[in-house]
Amino acid sequence: MIALVEAVQRADSALGLLQATQALAAAAHPGGASCLVEVLGFNNPGAAVAAVDGLIAIGEPAVDTILTNIDGYNYGARAWAVRALAGIGDVRGFEVLEDALGNDIGPSVRRAAARGLGQLKLDRLAPSQRCATAERCLQALVEGCRDGEWVVRYAVVVGLESLAPALHPELLEGPAAQQRLHEALIGLWRNPAEEAPVVQLRAALALQRLGVSHG
Amino acid sequence: MAASPPVPHRYPNTMAAGDVDPSLPGNGDPISEEEALRRLRLTDDPSAQYYASWWLGRNRSRHPDAVPLLQEALRQRRPRDPGAGVEENAVARNAARALGKLGLPAQAAIPDLLATLEDEDHGLREAAARALGDLRAEAAVEPLRRRLASGPSVAGAQQPGTPRLQEPCEALLEALGDIGVAEPPVLAVIEPFVAHERPLIRSAACRALLQLTQERRWGDQLVQLLQHQQLQVRRAALMDLGAAGWREALEPIASTLAEDSLKLIALRGLVEHHPAMPEASAAPDQQTVAVLDAMDALL
Repeated sequence: MIALVEAVQRADSALGLLQATQALAAAAHPGGASCLVEVLGFNNPGAAVAAVDGLIAIGEPAVDTILTNIDGYNYGARAWAVRALAGIGDVRGFEVLEDALGNDIGPSVRRAAARGLGQLKLDRLAPSQRCATAERCLQALVEGCRDGEWVVRYAVVVGLESLAPALHPELLEGPAAQQRLHEALIGLWRNPAEEAPVVQLRAALALQRLGVSHG
Repeated sequence: MAASPPVPHRYPNTMAAGDVDPSLPGNGDPISEEEALRRLRLTDDPSAQYYASWWLGRNRSRHPDAVPLLQEALRQRRPRDPGAGVEENAVARNAARALGKLGLPAQAAIPDLLATLEDEDHGLREAAARALGDLRAEAAVEPLRRRLASGPSVAGAQQPGTPRLQEPCEALLEALGDIGVAEPPVLAVIEPFVAHERPLIRSAACRALLQLTQERRWGDQLVQLLQHQQLQVRRAALMDLGAAGWREALEPIASTLAEDSLKLIALRGLVEHHPAMPEASAAPDQQTVAVLDAMDALL
């Protein structure tokens, strides 16, 4: 592990950095997390992609390292960190994802956040907290339905579909949240102003998979 | 709702993570439609007009004054004078692009765009060609064909002292593909460009031929370009396969070494530009679901 980290630190070319990062990422060892987090700030997109993959492979042990450093990140590094948190799905990343979907200027960051909000591992939480967090995810995604970029609205559809099981009426106090989720999907599917038919098709597919009659 | 174009041209958001819209010109302040129309009337302030034209296209303005004002802005062009700056031509370029985005109401501007296609300014001809393609203007097929007819060695030859070709070949080829008139004289003019020395021109020619004929050989050549060593070429081939809706490219697109943002645009094209595009109101068929699954995996 130390040798892999040192190889990243010693890399003196873009290609060298990419290869060393890939090797470190493939190890998926928690000891590599801080080094991978550093790579996010190097303005080398190839290496950053590899570092994000590595952080996702490390999973939950990487979350603290990402969150402790996130405020000091430049914009690019923050964007990559959001993608890592979305991929890991740890609930400690919730607030970062919520903020990113609502406020980030990069469509690819909002897109990753929308997907991530649908796949947080909520079953690790105590029941009361689980319901509250699921409802906040829903609220953030409902607001994301109005995003100006088609790809973000597409990701919101995917996020809503994967959030649906967490809003099952038996888990919450009644069907209100589930209904809001279905209404959000129906709204995306029917939106007369939608300029991307693919978003409507994806919403139709989500409704079909969730067994919601919408015809 | 803000929008990206239905048939994507090359190089939209290409930055992997920090993808601020690069088509946004300077002083991108949020303004109203009324304000955009007011600025477009300021004929002595080209930079205000420049932003206003872009704004009207980007926001798909339906205001009855939009098309007539953009037509006037298009007429503001003047012969290129390298010493004197070309502000009016920059306005005209943006006006042409905006007209291309306005759809049906902009049909009235097709004669103006056809006149612009004959302008001496290379960049203006390029913008006019793209707009005519966006508007599916069949009246443009013959002039577009004529501009390319001298082939790769003349129309496609490099201008001395610049990286430009004699004609904006990429835009001309793409416009012919988008307009969709698949007559033999059109195909015959496009085909030689499949052997152009520049891979971006080859890609544009294959795209047009694939759109016009749906013949596998052109799709296969584009899929090969996805492996090209230059990222710029791989990006172009992604956009071109998307524009042609070539579903057989699903797997190669998903595994291309390029930004996920661009792959998503290409895959959107496979869904929306496929000849058998399902009604958006119906549940998608199995083949479409396979494309959607690939998109989900890239988010």
